[in-house]
Amino acid sequence: MHQQAQLRLKKDEVEKLGAEVYVVLAMDLHRTRVFKEENLLLSKGTGRFSKEKSLVYATALSDPAGYASAVYGVARKCLRWGAWVENQPHWFVIDHGGTLTFMLEPKFDTPTAYEKDVDRVLDALMKGRAEK
Amino acid sequence: MHRMTIALVGLFLLPGAGWAQPTSPLEKYRRLQFPAKDENFAKGWQERVALEYEIINAADLKALRLALKDEDPFVRAIAARALGILGDKDSADALAELVKADKEYLVRIRAVESLGYLKMKPEVIQLAIKDRDGGVSWVAKLAADQLKSDTDYAKQLREAYATGIKREVMGTAKLGKPAPDFSALTSDGKPFRLSTALGKKPIAIYFAAYDG
Repeated sequence: MHQQAQLRLKKDEVEKLGAEVYVVLAMDLHRTRVFKEENLLLSKGTGRFSKEKSLVYATALSDPAGYASAVYGVARKCLRWGAWVENQPHWFVIDHGGTLTFMLEPKFDTPTAYEKDVDRVLDALMKGRAEK
Repeated sequence: MHRMTIALVGLFLLPGAGWAQPTSPLEKYRRLQFPAKDENFAKGWQERVALEYEIINAADLKALRLALKDEDPFVRAIAARALGILGDKDSADALAELVKADKEYLVRIRAVESLGYLKMKPEVIQLAIKDRDGGVSWVAKLAADQLKSDTDYAKQLREAYATGIKREVMGTAKLGKPAPDFSALTSDGKPFRLSTALGKKPIAIYFAAYDG
């Protein structure tokens, strides 16, 4: 959700690049819809996103059996930090020719990590477009 | 004759012979080298994924119902999940008991999630919203919403698992190689296939956890 909130702030840049962004959840359609349409997580705090109704700009995709997540090597089906976790979050960028050109595993380790991650994704998207 | 019988039984019990090996997916799950514990987060996930598919597709309701009482909470949890996805309404009472009384939150999560898929026991789902564990409460709220929906989420899940998954396709996304194709549903329920979007624009895909 945090990564998606940051991406939304850069929506104009994504559109200028003519890029498409998807967010995949290894969850059923209902949870995917809630993730896309409702700000259940960050609305509980007092940060800049607390008053927003929805934080997700990308097209949200439900991968209910976790097939795509497993193919992309991010499935975990495990507990972590006291919670059940289906996936370890990852970014991938695919260039205009359909080749995977960038992969990033967010570390969530500093307050500004999200912004840097999204900037790196935008940079990879720009390179993907430039090769056209 | 007696000695021959003993010899044959011994042969089956040898490692590698049929009877000595766990044959059911549930039994294999019970004996996972890397169960779904925190310390195994990066290890053995392929086997956990493969066995989840196998358990659901095997649809052995009798074994799954028994497994709701297994000593191993991970086995109880996967059995609870599978029974919900399989639409086994006969297991609703047992799932409700797990929601109310299982000491492991991961079992309560999977059990209440399955009551949502079965669209049963709304009173138990309401109780779970007040669960002492935040994760159970979170999932219970989602399950309560699912009760109000006409969508058969369990059927969607069964269809997704029915396509199966081969171990050799897991983790095949590699830099410099063509992006592996996959299908999914958009949040408004429309079918999506990555290959139809390739070759037109650069694409970014974020595989998310709910809080990441």
